[in-house]
Amino acid sequence: MFFNSIAFAIFLPIVFFLYWFVFNKTKSTQNALLIIASYYFYSCWDWRFLFLLVFSTFLDYYTGIQIEKGKSEKSRKFWFWLSIIVNLGFLGIFKYYNFFASSFSDLLNSAGIKASPILLNVILPVGISFYTFHGLSYVIDIYYKRIKAEYNFVDYSLFVSYFPLLVAGPIERATHLLPQVKVKREFNFETAKEGVYQIIWGLVKKVVIADTCATYANAIFDHYTSMNSFSLIMGAIYFAFQIYGDFSGYSDIALGVSKLFGLDLLRNFNYPYFSRDIAEFWRRWHISLSSWFRDYLYIPLGGSKGGLWMKIRNTFIIFVVSGFWHGANWTYVVWGFINAVYFLPLLLSNSNRNNMDAIVLKWNFDSAKVIMSILYTFLLTCIAWVFFRASTITDAFSYLKRIITDRHFGSQYLENERYNYELLLLIGVFVLVEWNNRNKVEPLSGKKSLLKLSLAIAAILAFGTYSDYKEFIYFQF
Amino acid sequence: MKNFLIYIAKIILVTILLAIVLDGLYSAMFIQCKNRGKIDQIYNSEGRKYDVVILGSSRANNHFVAPMFEEKGLKTFNYGMSGSHLFETALMLKLMIERKYQIKNVILEADLNLSGSDQSEGIASRFLPYIHNSNVIKEHFQTQEHFNELYYIPFYRYIKYEIRIGFREMFFNAIHKKTIHLNNLGYNPLDGVENGNMKNNIVKLNPLPHNKYYEEIKSICKANNINLIVVMTPMCENVKGMNYFEKVKKAYPEIHNYENAVVENKYFSSCGHMNDTGARMFTARILKDFFNK
Repeated sequence: MFFNSIAFAIFLPIVFFLYWFVFNKTKSTQNALLIIASYYFYSCWDWRFLFLLVFSTFLDYYTGIQIEKGKSEKSRKFWFWLSIIVNLGFLGIFKYYNFFASSFSDLLNSAGIKASPILLNVILPVGISFYTFHGLSYVIDIYYKRIKAEYNFVDYSLFVSYFPLLVAGPIERATHLLPQVKVKREFNFETAKEGVYQIIWGLVKKVVIADTCATYANAIFDHYTSMNSFSLIMGAIYFAFQIYGDFSGYSDIALGVSKLFGLDLLRNFNYPYFSRDIAEFWRRWHISLSSWFRDYLYIPLGGSKGGLWMKIRNTFIIFVVSGFWHGANWTYVVWGFINAVYFLPLLLSNSNRNNMDAIVLKWNFDSAKVIMSILYTFLLTCIAWVFFRASTITDAFSYLKRIITDRHFGSQYLENERYNYELLLLIGVFVLVEWNNRNKVEPLSGKKSLLKLSLAIAAILAFGTYSDYKEFIYFQF
Repeated sequence: MKNFLIYIAKIILVTILLAIVLDGLYSAMFIQCKNRGKIDQIYNSEGRKYDVVILGSSRANNHFVAPMFEEKGLKTFNYGMSGSHLFETALMLKLMIERKYQIKNVILEADLNLSGSDQSEGIASRFLPYIHNSNVIKEHFQTQEHFNELYYIPFYRYIKYEIRIGFREMFFNAIHKKTIHLNNLGYNPLDGVENGNMKNNIVKLNPLPHNKYYEEIKSICKANNINLIVVMTPMCENVKGMNYFEKVKKAYPEIHNYENAVVENKYFSSCGHMNDTGARMFTARILKDFFNK
């Protein structure tokens, strides 16, 4: 059940009605309904994996309590590592086993030792990377005594399996979401209205921007060997907007839907393509994952404390692991590595926190420099996205090489029966709208909201891509 | 909560109004244009007189050289449409009759398309902008799945088939941007393609014993005193399951089998489609066999 499906358009009002009109007596009834709805939502993909979700929930719930109750450090450590190993074990088996098996076999073959890997015929459970990280952060926080264990299983289950964030995040923290599910939610008109704005803007990003860009990006990436330089450049730009529209659109809908139920989720995107350097980009892109890795990997590794080599090592670890989190393919690892290479000069020159302020433009030279730095950061990001999108590392290098060597910058008719330049206007308008509203969560609220809402709905109806239906990219992670 | 429900009702109302407005706007743009394709040309014309009208899929569109008929003094137009099935072919003929066309002969390409009676969504969708303005289009779609949604939900058809009749196509209709479909009296010549796909496998194809839309075309022609000439057109040499054409002949003895009229690969652009040279050879043969007075 996708957020942009008819099934969800029926599911959401039913749950909303039951939540506020039937199960609204206590927070327990509200939570119970949301859990039932969440499990139903999840089972729409594959009910068999529901058992995995429930098991993972129970494991973290139980180990969390045992860690807190543990009288000796040994006992606390035992429950802590049990949770970590089982959680990562599931993730490893379902997501990474085949990758490691075939990579190991390739390595042996290249050394002249014949080996054929034993591969598992398993489907990746939807959202496993997301709910595993929910659970991990909870257990780690209890172990380090940052939070208390949750003794109410229903409340804890809702924290892990709350349907708006279940399959593609944002990756919530117990410190943020659990206190909210512990109290009865009261309906607030303004919050719900904000939620509606976010849902509609998320839909614009998904069906108008992401899915339309996808038809072009796919046509270019899948036939890159016959594309000219201009098409290849456009392909990288289209993919950049596809993945942004897709993922941030999903996050907007998730946040908006959650507001309808009176629950506030972590913001996941903050106009990342207006970043002035890569460090700022990573403070604005998939914020919940970046901050997760910062808090649970980078800082425990020593962060930016310690010597020069420690800094470099930790930076590469966090980016490469982040890349690997996205999928079991070397292309994601290289994508993470490239971002580490981009980030390193900023870290070494202590300028990774230079651009913390809001962007203000005036008619002066400094503003021109800001615009140039935004464009430069976007260029770097697009180059990295080529690795993210390409099927293999060789394809990515060939793609980039062809941009330089082909040197033809004319229009080209693509496999999707469109010309390579046709989306430029749409993207230009989208960028302008986002730029003018970069200080807000979404552009529809504020003055003349009804008019802006009507234009957004008209855009969804008229410019959306529906016939070539696409899933949300991040569901595969 | 009451305020919120009113607010949601307003959004739903705005959405419905927008859908109605967009539906009207899109339909108006499609209806006023007559140089984008064969469907809008027929829709926007009336009482045309033809000696020969050619119907069928790309194997009609790329194979019958309409100007060669004209050279013989036969007023002709090739209304074959690449990708179409007999569902759309029958509808084309019905639309012509609705627009009071006077046709003496219809040449129908019926061979591979006899194996199914489903619609070709990509082509069928191009009739949908006219569904509220043409009874034959409405009636033709009435038996189809999703008819109610397509007919009664405003703008739904433009959303469902946005690749074919969405914003881009509506915009080109609005500015009357020409296409190649009406050039050469509807005939679309193909180039010879070196190393083209000269293989085909039609082993799994079987002609339906009673193709609904083929029978419909026959009865329309009979009712309107149109001489119907049904032909199977050539395929390249390297086809697996070539006995398909014999099966067609057995099921429909009235269909003329020209599958072997042109055989050498050099006359083909791809296995199922002759190039311009092949098409001219084939058309000459058809003219000789049926119009050699």
